[in-house]
Amino acid sequence: MTTSPPGTRTGTRTGRRRHGRRARLGSAAAAATAALTSISLLAACSGPPKDKAAGITDVKLAVSTPEARGEIDSFTWAVYAEPPTLDYTVAFDYPQNTVLSNVCESLMRWTPGLATEPGLAQKASNPDPTTWVYDLRPGVRFHDGKEMTADDVVFSLGRQKDPDNAAAWAQVFQNVASITKSGPLQVTVKLSKPDSQFPQYMATAAGVIASRATVEAAGKDYGTTGGLGCTGPFKLGTWNKGQSIELERFDGYWGTRAKSKKAVFRVLTDPSARTNALLSGEADGGYLIPTESYARLKGSGAGTLYFGEGLSTVNVNITNMQGPLGDIRVRRALSLALDRTGFVKAGLGGAGTVTNSLTTRAAWAAAPERTLKTAFDSLPPTGQDLEKAKALAKEAGATGKTLTVATSSIGQDVSLLATAVQAAGTQIGLDIQLKTIAPNAFTALFTDPQAREGIDMFPLTYYDSITDPLDLLQNFKTGAYMNFAGYSDPGYDKLVDQASAVYPTEQRMDIEAKLQHHASEQLLWIPVAEWPTALFLNKRITGAPTTISYMYYPWAADVGASQ
Amino acid sequence: MSFVRFAIRRVAEMAATLLTASFVVFAAMYLAPGNPASFLLAGRSASPEALASINAQYHLDDPFLLRYFRWLGDVLQGDFGRSITYRTDVSRLLADRLPTTLILIVMSLVVVVAVGLLLGRVAAVRGGATDSAILVTTTFAVGTPSFVAAVLLQGLFAVKLGWFPSSGAGDGGLGDMLWHLTLPSIALALYLIGMLARVTRSAMLEALDSEHVTVARSRGVPERQVIRRHVFRNSLGTVLTTGGLIVSTLLVCTILVETAFSIGGIGQLLELSTTTKDFPTVQAISLIIVALFMIVNLIVDLLLPLVDPRVTLGSRSAAV
Repeated sequence: MTTSPPGTRTGTRTGRRRHGRRARLGSAAAAATAALTSISLLAACSGPPKDKAAGITDVKLAVSTPEARGEIDSFTWAVYAEPPTLDYTVAFDYPQNTVLSNVCESLMRWTPGLATEPGLAQKASNPDPTTWVYDLRPGVRFHDGKEMTADDVVFSLGRQKDPDNAAAWAQVFQNVASITKSGPLQVTVKLSKPDSQFPQYMATAAGVIASRATVEAAGKDYGTTGGLGCTGPFKLGTWNKGQSIELERFDGYWGTRAKSKKAVFRVLTDPSARTNALLSGEADGGYLIPTESYARLKGSGAGTLYFGEGLSTVNVNITNMQGPLGDIRVRRALSLALDRTGFVKAGLGGAGTVTNSLTTRAAWAAAPERTLKTAFDSLPPTGQDLEKAKALAKEAGATGKTLTVATSSIGQDVSLLATAVQAAGTQIGLDIQLKTIAPNAFTALFTDPQAREGIDMFPLTYYDSITDPLDLLQNFKTGAYMNFAGYSDPGYDKLVDQASAVYPTEQRMDIEAKLQHHASEQLLWIPVAEWPTALFLNKRITGAPTTISYMYYPWAADVGASQ
Repeated sequence: MSFVRFAIRRVAEMAATLLTASFVVFAAMYLAPGNPASFLLAGRSASPEALASINAQYHLDDPFLLRYFRWLGDVLQGDFGRSITYRTDVSRLLADRLPTTLILIVMSLVVVVAVGLLLGRVAAVRGGATDSAILVTTTFAVGTPSFVAAVLLQGLFAVKLGWFPSSGAGDGGLGDMLWHLTLPSIALALYLIGMLARVTRSAMLEALDSEHVTVARSRGVPERQVIRRHVFRNSLGTVLTTGGLIVSTLLVCTILVETAFSIGGIGQLLELSTTTKDFPTVQAISLIIVALFMIVNLIVDLLLPLVDPRVTLGSRSAAV
């Protein structure tokens, strides 16, 4: 029977059915062939070489890049993966949102400064705690030429709620009782209970409005073939599957016209290929620069490397409270033994700040000074204190105990943090095992409890989709999706429910400050560093925002000539 | 053996192999951690209704065998199903990406055969310093993983010299694509060139030592003719039998080379689909790979008797 090479990276063996008598090859040839057959094929194409991390210093966060001085015909942008589909209901990852934010617009809009302002709705009002009324901007045209009406809004939001549609944003609509047309240009959303997160999420892909006619005509193929029927400054052009996505300027746009006629997104999955394309000018710019390339791009003279607010923190996610980590003293000991500064230098390419907070400071932008004090003062320290850590581990009786941390080669923020945790544990008498997981299985840690069997913790970089710390802090509520450790505290749950029900920002953030304190003290995840966004622009172009707003703000329309 | 009997047997063998392979891959996917539904929801929590709806749409809750036979039934009717991740028909997904991969593999194959045979022949015939130089070079080639070759080629010819694009498969016509795929095809071919050159060299050296070559020379047949007719032709059979190994290596390594050069072919698609447990896509690509592998084996078996008259159809052995 012919054994055939399986199509995965596991070991392969090739054999061949031989009929009748065995071939009598010459002795030399036989030896050569046998030797070659015995070499596992994968020796011929084994994995990537390890890169040495090159850190950079003097990282300053830029608020923005210089404004564009003129129009350009086209610019090329590097993205690390191809969006499987551009259907807005499943757009919940960097690549698809980076593209989609320029084509599809939402009821509200996230600004480059991470504030929320009116978008396709010119006014959002809240007559009572469970009602949100959206008055639509008149005269907005879809890419298919039709004018936007309340019907399109009811239809577009309805797709997110439809269970048959498996929308990634369905959770945002969990408290939505009804979405109805209350006027030709007015839509009323009724909630089953007050929900302070819902109106904020209307600035993300959860609040995208598309043309009902286009979506219905495309049917099952919406998002993969044909136009998207949205309202943004660019419309979808040629999508060369597996290669590139072209956007074309939409001349019927209601807002400020885009400065470039075309925006081309090139899919460059390999980190070094992405860096090479930026250096050679094959790509003019990109977000999410591989950390190991910071120094190379900065020193290249090909363009400028910017850093901006990212709303992202790097943490160690505790997944097993049944083992030694169930004792808070052990968690505190690990946190005290962790060399955060060393990790930022190596793992984040020097761009990042050590933190003892699970949430970024930028997420609290709307909070008054006293709230910030409550949220950030007297959190567990970030500095290393090995003596104290050793004593704590000993006191908890954890010395010599074994803990397992998952690691994977998906990025240095993961692999080097796992190594840092191992080093920290070893120094205080714990036995920390690394469990290496294939990049594809690493994703399964989030979705499959079986994949987390035998693992006590794993590195986790988390970003907020809205400028509200609750986006992260609600993860520790009983039964929350990312609450892998199964943490449960009735007091905490009550506070989460309260914060979810309070609309005035300052009042809500007061409650969130208490949540932040509780979660950080308990070390439900061990906070390590704040990680800013990185942006590279070559000398030809400028204008893109530096912050994570590019996920839901039509940033490509601001990109133009630098001269 | 008659050709008809040979054909019937081979077709039956192929069908059985494809069936076995499809079952093994399906089972492996089934046992791997992760649930496609949760990947579909991008790792967000979902309402029980939504999960139930996806499970129903893609039959994810059905027992293993039922799912497998449902899939098999659809495939026999020419329906490869819908990709769970890409939310589009698998046939369309493959139609978009297969040409790129096939062109890459064919380009590599041409390079491997042309350069590999030439080097092996020159090494065997010239001997001496040339032979040693080729041996050293091919040792280096065999020892270089295609991933490393990719990085080196990119660094030198794309970034430093700027002769070739550093990645992608182009979005112009065929010429643009060939230009884009030049470096990847070399990276993919390097190891195999070394391998083929060595096999050719040793087969030819063995033929050079054989009696009929000595006889031919003593009869005054010109040396060039001796090499072409007696030596090279005799060693071709040995070389041909490595065909299956060459093609399977190309098929496996294309996954890594496509990733290194960001060429969105089916190699890369396979890797991504395995990640998200996209059953229909992984199944379809695996079948294509297995089928290609078997077709090459068949071609080798058909060609062998033509190259080496001592080999009869359907047997890989020379009648001694």
